[in-house]
Amino acid sequence: MIGFLILSVFIGIVIIAFASVTQKKLSDAIILFMGVGLGSVVLFFIFKAPDVALTEAVIGSGISSLIFLMALKHLKEKA
Amino acid sequence: MSLKRDLPTSTMSGFALSASLVLTILNILLHNIPNNIQTVGDELLKLNQTEGVANAVTTVVVYFRGFDTLGEIAVLFIASLGIGLMLDANKRCDIKAKSNFMLQTASKLLFPIIMLFGIYVMVYGHLSPGGGFQGGVIVASGVLLLLISFNEFELSHKVVSMLEMFAGASYVIIGLIGLLVLDKFLGNFLPNDVANMGMLLSGGIIPIIYIIVGVKVGSEMSVISENLIKRCEDV
Repeated sequence: MIGFLILSVFIGIVIIAFASVTQKKLSDAIILFMGVGLGSVVLFFIFKAPDVALTEAVIGSGISSLIFLMALKHLKEKA
Repeated sequence: MSLKRDLPTSTMSGFALSASLVLTILNILLHNIPNNIQTVGDELLKLNQTEGVANAVTTVVVYFRGFDTLGEIAVLFIASLGIGLMLDANKRCDIKAKSNFMLQTASKLLFPIIMLFGIYVMVYGHLSPGGGFQGGVIVASGVLLLLISFNEFELSHKVVSMLEMFAGASYVIIGLIGLLVLDKFLGNFLPNDVANMGMLLSGGIIPIIYIIVGVKVGSEMSVISENLIKRCEDV
């Protein structure tokens, strides 16, 4: 049962990552990248690594996506 | 034109990479790893019993690999320095965030809770999951919320740089005191009885160093977000 859950989360991560890479709009790609981080938080928690899960939730899908979005805003202003 | 030509190659390589990842995790799921292999993790867990810190990950990050953590802190400092240099820290800038009443009210409500949670994660790093890095980033995200919702809010650069300098210097000073007392850089010179394991005051220098790391990471991430969010007119 838990193996099925892990496998489904993993396949979901791969699909979201594909969607993120092939996205035309950059802001959509960043939001999908946050989804990849969210899926990996679930995986890290199932694999008994709560420290890594917290780090991924805070840094991986939280502040780094925000920094990407702010950098995108800077790029749009420059262009 | 070149993007159109390169796209099949990148798609193919991405597909190959994901397929190999899927096969790897299938391999891990299907063939259970035997439990009787002696690994580095087991040795570290055995060593962790002698330090009196409930969270084994914290012991590894701050104590057994304390010098690496000092290097990571230096990397983060250089990153924030680079962002400040690239975005011209000396230019005349003003923070013009487009915010509305809803965002302002919500951030007034949420900011104390975010700060409290960040400080909790920082201080309880040796007892529960989390620690200085995570807590520092949570505190910085609270500062970021204030930056995007209030026009008049300004980060006091004097206070932030003082905090950052103090934290970075005291990390090295604690390491040097350990070198003087125990002949070992970052030696645990404060009382760290195993009997106190699980209490707030336990583990000697380990919680102190993680709080220092949290202060440093929080101030650096706040400065990075402030640098990215402010708008500068080109001179």
